[in-house]
Amino acid sequence: MTSDPRPHAERSHDSLSGALPAGLPTAAAMHRRPLAGGEGLDLLVVPMESPAASASMTIDVDATAVTVILRDWLTAAADSRSAVVIPLYDCLVAWAPGRAAIGGPPDRLAALEIAVVEFATREAELREAERRAAVLLEAIDGDLATDESDDGRAREHGPALASRYREAVAIGRRLSLLASAVHAPPVHPPTLASQVGERLRDRTRLVERHELARERGELVERVAEASRQRALELSVARQQMGLEWAIVVLLVVQTAILVVDLLSRRGTP
Amino acid sequence: MAAVNLPTEILPTHTMPSRPPRIAIVGGGPSGLFVAWHIEEQASLPVDITIFEATDRLGGKVCTPQFSAAAVRYEAGAAELYDYEGVGNDPLRELIRGLGLPTVPLTGSAVHMSGRRIACLDDLENAHGQEARDRLVAFDTWARAAMTPQEFFESGCDHATMACPPTRFDDPLDAIGSPVARSYVETMIHSDLATEPSATTAAYGLQNYLMTDPAYMRLYRIAGGNEQFMTTLAARIAAKVRHTATVTAICSESDGRFTVTWRSADRSNDETFDIVIVALPVAALAGITFRDEPLAAAMQRHLTHHDHPAHYLRVSLLIDEPAPVVPGEDDYIMVDAFGGACLYVESSRDPVTRHGVLGWLLGGEAASTMASLPDDAITAAAINALPAPFASCRGRVLEARVHRWIGAVSAVPGGWQSLPVATRHRPSPTHPNLFVAGDYLYDSTLNGALDSADYVAGWVASTLAPMTPASRHATTDTAA
Repeated sequence: MTSDPRPHAERSHDSLSGALPAGLPTAAAMHRRPLAGGEGLDLLVVPMESPAASASMTIDVDATAVTVILRDWLTAAADSRSAVVIPLYDCLVAWAPGRAAIGGPPDRLAALEIAVVEFATREAELREAERRAAVLLEAIDGDLATDESDDGRAREHGPALASRYREAVAIGRRLSLLASAVHAPPVHPPTLASQVGERLRDRTRLVERHELARERGELVERVAEASRQRALELSVARQQMGLEWAIVVLLVVQTAILVVDLLSRRGTP
Repeated sequence: MAAVNLPTEILPTHTMPSRPPRIAIVGGGPSGLFVAWHIEEQASLPVDITIFEATDRLGGKVCTPQFSAAAVRYEAGAAELYDYEGVGNDPLRELIRGLGLPTVPLTGSAVHMSGRRIACLDDLENAHGQEARDRLVAFDTWARAAMTPQEFFESGCDHATMACPPTRFDDPLDAIGSPVARSYVETMIHSDLATEPSATTAAYGLQNYLMTDPAYMRLYRIAGGNEQFMTTLAARIAAKVRHTATVTAICSESDGRFTVTWRSADRSNDETFDIVIVALPVAALAGITFRDEPLAAAMQRHLTHHDHPAHYLRVSLLIDEPAPVVPGEDDYIMVDAFGGACLYVESSRDPVTRHGVLGWLLGGEAASTMASLPDDAITAAAINALPAPFASCRGRVLEARVHRWIGAVSAVPGGWQSLPVATRHRPSPTHPNLFVAGDYLYDSTLNGALDSADYVAGWVASTLAPMTPASRHATTDTAA
């Protein structure tokens, strides 16, 4: 993924999704970046002119105030429990689902933006996979109860099971596509973007979440497959039983005909 | 455990010693403790182990004392441990885990050069231009090609192979072609190298460079202080420990045993042992007299091969509150002062402390030169050299401690020409029951010390079974 090469000032009018928090520098801008799956990211960009940006490892006093403002803005987001704020030398990165803020010297903002948008894209994909896996997981109990029943429900349940199986396979496919990014080894020598991306990945426990989502998907896949198999076996068994009864009836009829035939021949000289 | 009743005729009575074999371990540092631990773990017979330690504490350069002005701990020696589990089996990590010690990862990527912080390639390019960045990337690419993570992991083993040229480390550094990129690399690794690039091999230099890459290795520490590792290990060893007992001489006897002469409180003592394991740094090994001529000659060859002293100097500063914090979440930074030094922000190790602790690690010539200065002068230099983010700490130092580790490690672990592992650990073939163990035989790390101890313990354990007076003569005669 590449960032928009235009300067931040030119982009500040792009699809603004909300008002800027009060107290930020005038050069601050917010724009909405589309993410995979139809989600969007409200990205707040805060240029922070630090007089000794590259010589100092500490964020100056103004930056500390900006940190507080950004933290408040993030916690107002829908899922503020997942919010992370990462001070990185003279830069600041803050993220929550659907919202992100980057602050730092203007020459660092492009690298920070690439890292944050890349991370947000991966995280959104993973979150969507987690949501879909959770929905499937809830249906497991019903599937298990159904495939134990010997009434017609198992047969009727077949299409739903097949749909769930396909959904579980689709989730697995999405997660496997994500795996290379989630499990990528740290970049060495590091770049600013790689440092930010790795810290965000670690702080949001992306690796563990990916593993859990994959395990859930695999569990649903196994259960759905087993349930489908069980439903198929029940269906085949029912057909076999019908066939067996038909054979029995035919044999009885044949026997009756034979008996009648024998009895009718008895009186014949 | 229930006794197993074997038929008397199949009991190996001829191999059973009449008493537990007596084993002397000279040196109560990490190597000595590791050897004792492994022998007790691996020996199939009861053993009588005595550890001779010249000081009043065990653990050597793994040392976490407290300041006097406040009950705050600091690392006076080894500040970090190396985690190889990303590449292969890591016995040190397993041992620490087995002892139930919690560990914490250590991170740091900033190099402070000429007052500027270089924390990533972007910083290097911003400060010194595209060429410096390209040269560093080229060196990094070359270094990875010269030594893969697996080769890095296996370095020091008999079967180790690598494409690294058999030159001194300053050759590949010269080839970088950019003074800034070279300075960056040197600053980054100088304190770990503990020597100058011209005084070590390209392979060892590369190891120290590549250990900054998480694909090769990660750093960690033990929560509550690294010395806990040594004290916990020592508490689980049944060996007798003779503190403040300096071994001055070792003499082989005609029956294959050894007389160890040791001094304590101005009194000289002699004790006889079946097996002697010398687990000392090379510098301390030179202080032991080997009275038997062939043994003395063999040990002199061993010393000559391995005598490449490297030096550390630790300066720890206790700062009054507030504790300094590095916004990059780094536990340490590299600084170009003192030819390249590491500054550990030890405050980050204790979240509830009301004090700050900054720990300098100096290495190589700077450490060697400054070690001769009085503590006050060393402390003043360390305070003056604090980089800009810690400038406010200069007037707030409550207490400073200096620890000198001169000759404590090897600049060329394993020697310029690598010897077989067996030769490294048993310098004299005619004295099969005298072993040496130490990190200088592998890679100057605690992992190397453990590998060395494991090797010696395995050998000792396998020799213990046939160790009777008669078999001792036989072994010696055969070897002779």
